[in-house]
Amino acid sequence: MIDNALIALDALFEPMRLAALFAGMLVGMIFGMLPGLGGVAAVSILLPFIYYLDDYSGLAMLLGAVSVVYTSDTITSVLLGAPGSPASAPTAIEGHALAKQGQAARALGVGFLASMVGGLVGSLVLFFAIPIAGPIVLMLSTPELFTLALVGLFFASSMIGKDLAKGLAAAALGVLLGVVGPAQAAADFRFTFGQVYLLDGFSLTIVALGLFGVAEVISMLAQGGGISNQKMEVTHWGEGFRDFWRNRWLVLRASLIGVLGGFVPAVGASASTWVAYGHAIRSTKDKSKFGKGEIRGIAASEGANNATVISDLVPTLLFSVPGGPAAAIFLGALFSFGYYPGPRMVTQNPDLMFLIVWSVALSSIVGAGLCFAVTPMLARLTRIPFAIIAAPLVLVMVIGAYQATSTIGDIFMLFMLGALGWLMKHGGWPRAPALVGFVLSSPMEQYFWLTNQIHGWSWVTRPGVLIIASIIVIPLLISGVRRLRQWQSGEAVASEAEGVPAEQCNHSLALVLAALASALFLYALWETFTFNPASRLMPLLAIAPGVPLTLWLVLRGVREYRSDLGRDAGELRILAVLLAYAVALWAIGLTIPTLVLLGWMLLAKAQMRIWTATLYGAVVFGLIWFLFDVLRGDPPVGALIPFN
Amino acid sequence: MRKFLTTTVAFAALTTMAQAQDGYFAGKTIDVIVPFGTGGATYVSAKFLEPYFEKHLPGNPEINVIDRPGGGSILGANWFEQNAKADGSTILFTTSSTANPFVLGQEGVEYRLSDYRVAYSHPFGAVAYVSPSTGVTDAASIKNSSSPLVYGGIAAAASDLPGLLSFEVLGIDVKSVLGFTGRGPVRLAFEQGEVNIDYQFTPVWLTQVVPSVEEGNAVPLWTGGAMDGGVLKARDPVAPDLPSVYEVYQTMNGQPPSGIEWEAFQGIASVTYAYGLTGYLHPDAPQEALDAFAAAVEAINADPEFQAASQDVTGGARLSAGPDTEATIKAALSPSEEVKTYLRSLLSEKYGVKF
Repeated sequence: MIDNALIALDALFEPMRLAALFAGMLVGMIFGMLPGLGGVAAVSILLPFIYYLDDYSGLAMLLGAVSVVYTSDTITSVLLGAPGSPASAPTAIEGHALAKQGQAARALGVGFLASMVGGLVGSLVLFFAIPIAGPIVLMLSTPELFTLALVGLFFASSMIGKDLAKGLAAAALGVLLGVVGPAQAAADFRFTFGQVYLLDGFSLTIVALGLFGVAEVISMLAQGGGISNQKMEVTHWGEGFRDFWRNRWLVLRASLIGVLGGFVPAVGASASTWVAYGHAIRSTKDKSKFGKGEIRGIAASEGANNATVISDLVPTLLFSVPGGPAAAIFLGALFSFGYYPGPRMVTQNPDLMFLIVWSVALSSIVGAGLCFAVTPMLARLTRIPFAIIAAPLVLVMVIGAYQATSTIGDIFMLFMLGALGWLMKHGGWPRAPALVGFVLSSPMEQYFWLTNQIHGWSWVTRPGVLIIASIIVIPLLISGVRRLRQWQSGEAVASEAEGVPAEQCNHSLALVLAALASALFLYALWETFTFNPASRLMPLLAIAPGVPLTLWLVLRGVREYRSDLGRDAGELRILAVLLAYAVALWAIGLTIPTLVLLGWMLLAKAQMRIWTATLYGAVVFGLIWFLFDVLRGDPPVGALIPFN
Repeated sequence: MRKFLTTTVAFAALTTMAQAQDGYFAGKTIDVIVPFGTGGATYVSAKFLEPYFEKHLPGNPEINVIDRPGGGSILGANWFEQNAKADGSTILFTTSSTANPFVLGQEGVEYRLSDYRVAYSHPFGAVAYVSPSTGVTDAASIKNSSSPLVYGGIAAAASDLPGLLSFEVLGIDVKSVLGFTGRGPVRLAFEQGEVNIDYQFTPVWLTQVVPSVEEGNAVPLWTGGAMDGGVLKARDPVAPDLPSVYEVYQTMNGQPPSGIEWEAFQGIASVTYAYGLTGYLHPDAPQEALDAFAAAVEAINADPEFQAASQDVTGGARLSAGPDTEATIKAALSPSEEVKTYLRSLLSEKYGVKF
């Protein structure tokens, strides 16, 4: 085994292969930074090139890209507040809050180091894939996977925040979004309104970008000025290193959560990242800083997401079952080089196995180093007026969203969910539970259904289920006993659910959102009765609490109503412009609306001089076309005027 | 970048192969639309075939494989309906996941698959196998299973349909658990002992299941079969030791299968297995383009490089093209009203599919 490992290391250190690995890393870094574009985009863009290389170089190139995406996405999440990839939404929440307080270097330092550890833990697990990881994957049958999803939900409950009604309503709304599309249990298509676009349900990328990215861009555009009001010092990394060291065990635990997430086929990095984030909240005594810039939140989520993408390769290599979307493309590449992953490959091509391990380990370390190196330059961007960055940012998000199906529906969905995210932000609804509800609803439904079909109710006593369930039960028991003692000794019971603080609330928008959400839930309730009974369970799980909660929020909204819509009128106008942009894209294609939007942002919002704006706008527009060309080949064509 | 690459490659091709520039596809670019994601079996197969078509099509066109996933392949096929070029330079390369919704008249289908011309087709055989824990040792003893048979699938109206229909034909009592996300997870569930009867397509059969069989962890049963004179009765060359469903029925009942169950199975199974991966062209594609593909398919099948590569990947499966192939596929795409009614009532009564 050691022999093979050394042979593989020697094979990787051939100049051509190292060059391929680094080229892959560069592409991965860039795509990690572009919001909405992540591992899948990076790998699919590299795919045509690998056929010009030998097998080892080609695979090293893809692995280089896969392993650094979740490291460099930290930069975007922290500096811009728009998640660089869906799995870094928690980093965007905590890291951006820190960046606004002038502590970007601290947040980034911890993020990079945690990513590196996550990557290395993932590599180590791959190294021991054959003797250890394989049996674990085989132990995780559907009942165990269902229990794992329950654990995720339990951890997510700590993100509900102070305003219980709004937090729960947001979670229910997320679950409702998650059940759109094909039902797992029976042949029903739910809430598709006859639109083919909705037959697959919502894409995670679009939901994450809409709820967080678009809403953030709108607020920053309205505020004017740079991203940070203070000068961002990202040259002194010392504090970040100290923070990392203080939280080293948390990072390690988060990485292990990430590894488990990777073992579960088709549950992506997003789910395990939220679980790790929830774990960080649960295991932190003073919860008051979560949502306002808590370094432990970053440490946990960055450790987890990188570990997940790498351990995604375990089921891919051992069982030919891709652990995630990027792993699926990697699997395709293996096929085309004539490698057929499965129990045989591990014994037939041990060198290849170790080449993969070395590639991801090396990229994790070098990738983190590269991120440290480029960040000081990128941080300077945060001082220039945001409108200048917003223009390319909005367009990159459009391209990222367009990767889902390459139809105009992607773009409409992005801005409609953006409007929802914006309403939630100002209506005081926490967005994290909504995204978690969305991420977990389909695995929960699928595994519950399969489990009950295959095992009846006997699954409850399986040893694996009991072990995993103890993750929930033991902490609950401990905290229960502690409370009992406190109560007996007459001490005040410390409030547990400090959680994420309510975002500053605009009362008129809160009322609008509550009314909108209650209408959605009531409609959903009506449509649910047309489904097969088996397909009703999960929607009802969202609707049953959703209807009373939102109706109560409407009532509360009416009672608390103040005419304060004007406060956010500036932002409302920007939202209207973006929605109009989406409609214009549909009607007359990409070119004209994009030029108008660029002009509006650069001249009216950023107040650039006409010549600099023209030059800069032309460069941005050229880059956008280039990206469309690289990724798809055909930007949206107008429906009314067939022009792109 | 892809276009940039295309241009450079095209230039290279222009200079080196100037002598081959007088075919139908000379100077053209062919877009192969795969209505599934990159990395999926259909995408990989399209990439596998790409260099051989570039080499053997007259005029050596540049071929781009483009993925357009969504709606369980309906979105990509609808896109093809609206955007395909009539000169045969746009190909819809797809599986029964696109054909079944069309045949059954599902909502959202805008493509008129039975009007399309068939450029070429590649078999995508499937092999059924069972867990040794059932006590079943071969196809004939399937009804003597010691434990209830459990089959895992994705959705009744998708690529699971022929498998489910084969159980109907053979009259086996199988509990089907639908709702898995892919055949890979089903395979994993088989290894974990959650399901005990399964179908897998050729590449997975060769690389995953055959090793299991050798270790004694799986018992092979039968294949979907191959076309022989318009009947799906021949043995699949992928697993020539195994009987076809047709043969199994004959052994069990002493007479060849017939009736509505068999007709439905044969129709659906032929587009799923025998013509599993099919390249469709615009309805107005010129005969010249079709002839070009038929000639290329013949040349590819004779290419020793292809023969060697396909031995590893698909167990030596060969492409097919021409009028016979097209006629069989079109027949399967427009089944009799009787078969359609049978399928729709089976799906809605047994599996809750709504039409």
